[in-house]
Amino acid sequence: MRNEQLIKGQSIPHDSASKHVSGFAQYTDDISEPVNTLYGAIGWSKKAHAKIKKIDLKDVKKSEGVISVITYNDIPGRNDVGPVFDGDPIFPKTKVEYFGQPLFAVAATSTEFARKAVLKAKVTYQDLTPIITIEEALKKNNLLFDPRIIKKGEPQNKINKSKNKLKGSFNTGSQEHFYLEGQVCLVVPKEDNSLLVYSSTQHPSETQQIIAKILKQKSNSITVMVRRIGGGFGGKETNFMTSAICALLSHKTKQPIKLRLDRDDDIIITGKRHDFYSEYEVGFNDEGKINGLKLKLASRCGMSPDLSYAINERALLHIDNAYYLSDLEVKNYLCKTNTSSSTAFRGFGGNQGMMAIENIIDNVARFLKKDPSEVRKINFYGKNKRNITHYGMKINDNVIQDIFKSLLSKSNYKKRFKEIRKFNLKNKFKKKGIALTPVKFGISFTTIHLNQAGALVHIYTDGSVHLNHGGIEMGQGTHTKIAQIVANSFGLPFEKVQISSTNTSKVPNTSASAASSTTDLNGAATLNAAIKIKSNLNNFIKKKYNIFSKIEPIYKNENIYFGNRSFNFKKIIQEAYLNRISLSSSGFYSTPKINFDKKKFKGRPFYYFCYGAAVTEVTIDILTGENIVDRVDIVHDAGNAINPALEFGQIEGGFVQGQGWLTMEELVWDKFGKLKTFSPSTYKIPAISDTPKKFNVEIFKKGSNVENVVNKQKTTGEPPLMLAMSVFFAIKDAIASVSKYEKTPKLDAPATPEKILMSINKLKNTT
Amino acid sequence: MVSNTIQFVFENKVCKIKNPDPNKTILDYVRDDLKKTGTKEGCAEGGCGACTIVLGELNKNKLVYKSINACISFLPNLNGKQLILVEDLIEKDNKLHPVQEAMVKFHGSQCGFCTPGFAMSLFSMYKNYSTINNEVVEEALSGNLCRCTGYRPIIDAAKSLNNKKDEDKFKKNQNKTINLLKKIKNVDVEINNRGKIYFAPKTIVNLKKILKKYPNAKILSGGTDLSLEVIKLRKQLKTIISLNSIEKLNFIKKTKSTIEIGAITSLFDFQNFIKKYFVDFYNILKRYGSLQIRNVGTIAGNIATASPIGDTLPILLTLDAKVIVQGINKKKIFPLNDFFISYRKTKLKKGEFIYSIKIPINKENIFKAYKISKRFDDDISSVCGSFSFLIKKNKIKKATIAYGGMSEIPKRASIIEKKLINSDFSENTFSKAVNLINKDFSPIDDMRASRNYRLSIAKNLLLKAFHEINNKKIIRII
Repeated sequence: MRNEQLIKGQSIPHDSASKHVSGFAQYTDDISEPVNTLYGAIGWSKKAHAKIKKIDLKDVKKSEGVISVITYNDIPGRNDVGPVFDGDPIFPKTKVEYFGQPLFAVAATSTEFARKAVLKAKVTYQDLTPIITIEEALKKNNLLFDPRIIKKGEPQNKINKSKNKLKGSFNTGSQEHFYLEGQVCLVVPKEDNSLLVYSSTQHPSETQQIIAKILKQKSNSITVMVRRIGGGFGGKETNFMTSAICALLSHKTKQPIKLRLDRDDDIIITGKRHDFYSEYEVGFNDEGKINGLKLKLASRCGMSPDLSYAINERALLHIDNAYYLSDLEVKNYLCKTNTSSSTAFRGFGGNQGMMAIENIIDNVARFLKKDPSEVRKINFYGKNKRNITHYGMKINDNVIQDIFKSLLSKSNYKKRFKEIRKFNLKNKFKKKGIALTPVKFGISFTTIHLNQAGALVHIYTDGSVHLNHGGIEMGQGTHTKIAQIVANSFGLPFEKVQISSTNTSKVPNTSASAASSTTDLNGAATLNAAIKIKSNLNNFIKKKYNIFSKIEPIYKNENIYFGNRSFNFKKIIQEAYLNRISLSSSGFYSTPKINFDKKKFKGRPFYYFCYGAAVTEVTIDILTGENIVDRVDIVHDAGNAINPALEFGQIEGGFVQGQGWLTMEELVWDKFGKLKTFSPSTYKIPAISDTPKKFNVEIFKKGSNVENVVNKQKTTGEPPLMLAMSVFFAIKDAIASVSKYEKTPKLDAPATPEKILMSINKLKNTT
Repeated sequence: MVSNTIQFVFENKVCKIKNPDPNKTILDYVRDDLKKTGTKEGCAEGGCGACTIVLGELNKNKLVYKSINACISFLPNLNGKQLILVEDLIEKDNKLHPVQEAMVKFHGSQCGFCTPGFAMSLFSMYKNYSTINNEVVEEALSGNLCRCTGYRPIIDAAKSLNNKKDEDKFKKNQNKTINLLKKIKNVDVEINNRGKIYFAPKTIVNLKKILKKYPNAKILSGGTDLSLEVIKLRKQLKTIISLNSIEKLNFIKKTKSTIEIGAITSLFDFQNFIKKYFVDFYNILKRYGSLQIRNVGTIAGNIATASPIGDTLPILLTLDAKVIVQGINKKKIFPLNDFFISYRKTKLKKGEFIYSIKIPINKENIFKAYKISKRFDDDISSVCGSFSFLIKKNKIKKATIAYGGMSEIPKRASIIEKKLINSDFSENTFSKAVNLINKDFSPIDDMRASRNYRLSIAKNLLLKAFHEINNKKIIRII
């Protein structure tokens, strides 16, 4: 990799852009089904917590078009789709643990018939008391794991000795992924009991392994293929229920099955982002520098562990955000609740941890009547001092001060801060607020073994390149960027590289496309394959054409240059083939330098950090709680970006998704555990008018990566979502103006118009 | 003449379907029967726009293009129209349509799943407007959700189409399309698909005849609400009568003192008409569903479904609107205030249909209306407040106040009204009056808003109306 030419920002369109806009990009539901395909539907629990007395499926079986019905009796192997821990039965035998838990499934001659049939089941339950909220779970000590305590220094002592102290609590809400393409799977049985599985998953290898286990077959009998998915955001990382049930139906009927979840079913059945509740006690000096911090951090994990352990761990690892915390203690509670199992969602717990500390810093600043950006600044990690994290990792790539400085001037923050205060004096009903928040986000899977990737590259005799790797294209443009890497490495135009479906039979044992690391890992593995092929070619050319010099050849403009001599790529490929030179290679990559001792909570879990910061200005209506994002300025570090256009897409899209999480997106369960917001009519993700009216995004000009990441890039997958924290704190700033900045508003996320108005009313009543 | 076959123009040909399933959506037809998979199913309830298609219609010999949600529109609705799918936009030599080109150039797609829907909404915008500004773009795309991009590149792509000369293949084929549409014989449609019956009569006379025979039939105009019974509740609608072919019900008539709107006039047509008379009505209609919904949805439909949160209803109550109901023998006129009985129940009897709605114009009254929801675009109100006052010599002579989202039907605040009438138009009056809100309403907690929040904004909206009138300026952020 060291000798490879870096790409200096090639903003080409997404490889599928023309197909997206003309309707020719195929998703799983668009694949033409084999003639005898049957269609599935899932029957699910109408209780959040109950014993199953009886499931009467007579009427389901008799329903028009129904060919087969399956229950837990039809599972030959493991009745669980839990990725790390057990706890996610496909069909539970005795007890339901959430409203929406699958109980049985149907295969019929059409999707409509299947969906009609499942409604005819008669299930008798014996009610058990459901635990729905974090509060209830904490009260009843209903936890998935023992509380986890991490500690550094003497926080209580430091708090006691501090001149200023604050205590408080804070909530962040859940979030539905709302990928536009719902969960869908097509399973086609092949000979020897093997299955070809097309699935809308971020994790084909685990889909393969889980299907193999439930069918009691070997992994080598299952092939999973994914060309692209219509958004994932974490919601398709471990949601194996759809593909598992689809495979079971196919196993039972020996026919191809398509199972596409109706949007309501999708939202009801599948897991969402973890809600978090925190209690804190903080001690600080008059400048706002934090001396000691004690936190209780509890999350709603739903009915099973799924990825909750890792997600809470990432929250713990990001409780510092960009701030040096010398003395810290966090007690972490993983609450088991009778709700769908909370799962991965862009940020993976990191953002919930970051919101907790940002809220504390904001409250410290308001207590001291200081500009919160000043308090943020003095708590930042230092470059040479104050640069060891609470998990003992030395930060050697800190650029947050530089980004902060650049953003302050670019956004004209100080001047606007003053103007806004003047505006608020003059306006009775409209109030403005502004906030600047930083992001520092650690990159790598914190489960170390997942940081590996594979690839497969072929060059055919006509000089065209076939590219395959373990990453999933879900909109982030990983296929485009990796194809750019390959094209650049071979000195070919982008069009000469053919991107192909991710396929477990081409590249095995892959990790999920998650943790922002898809391009870092798979791009490096692909480059490794390309370098191996180039090595074969170089040796062949040197030998054949008697080139003895040690200069590295340069691959450029469809030629290979050895000093003055050049060879046409296409011609030399044909020649190499005739001389029996291998033109295909697998590639492999594993992230160096990382280690993490989960027990001691110590080590270097991250290869590098991503940094960014945002300034947001909002206006709120204090009679209604309505709010609008007037202007956003962002400086974000993308390292040496491969394709800045795609990075801008990630930054802006991530921001708006975060804005949704912290403002309008609100999931509501009733006290029985029934989800009340399960369709776009009741669950609102940002729409076109929610885009910030002024949206100035800049990729950090001095950006690079101190580590040897492919193309020296920095990922932009998850980190930009957290830039939207500035929206929340700008709203809080606007609310604070109601008390002339004398009092600190109590505001929980999401800051819906209702929460905003209620916060204002409370503030008015206490002043 | 009656036909059991629907006809529509698709790919420059007239397509015919004999006895199509009247419970089948256009989306299922396109994906399952035509095997055109560019049009996506995102939510199957008209809430995300991934299934957006465009229908070309003849209006006074001119082609107009309407974006609609294929997922909540039944197949027979295609009758007499041109069906345009995302796959059709591309030119013969595989050249992208200007709207598609713009989306590629500005990096408007990421995962791409919502993109065909955006392309179609942009296409209808491109065909209907030459000046393209923020307002046009936001309206055109208000019904299309994207979870990846944050919309900025899509907005830029849309705005790049400003003043672009329309030279696409649809323009070139325009006359041919018009001739094909004219060729489709405009006759009454009567479909019988395995016991599922669908009528689309051309005249009121025929409509009455059908109603007499099938008094329990479901009456459909836009169908944006009715279709959900099939798609979401998985029910079967055995007998449907569509009003959409009755040209006589598509009108807006204005006299000196009233505006009358026909039963099948689209909310979009109405919205643009009403702007001049009641600007807040227009402001709220712009946020009623999405453009795809307003292109087919109607005021009459909003009244007939009698939803407690139907956004036009409190406004119509405040404006003293009347509902003209046509029975088999005679017309009846109801003040809207007497029309709603209870949750989703009205005085409309079997065999009757809403003919039109009449709105009196009273220039002396001051009218204000506000909609509060979690999201600006395409959301259902937490509370919708509508106010009309007649103020003379600083005395409140008339006060008509109505709210949506505050009770099981859209309702007037009669106790507050009484309190206000004959009082001074002053902050003191209003500050006292708003405290009676609990006497007029006892709203519920639900996923959209809590009882307390509803009460709180209901009060504040009335205060807002006072301050706006008093200060003669608009005090709003959106």
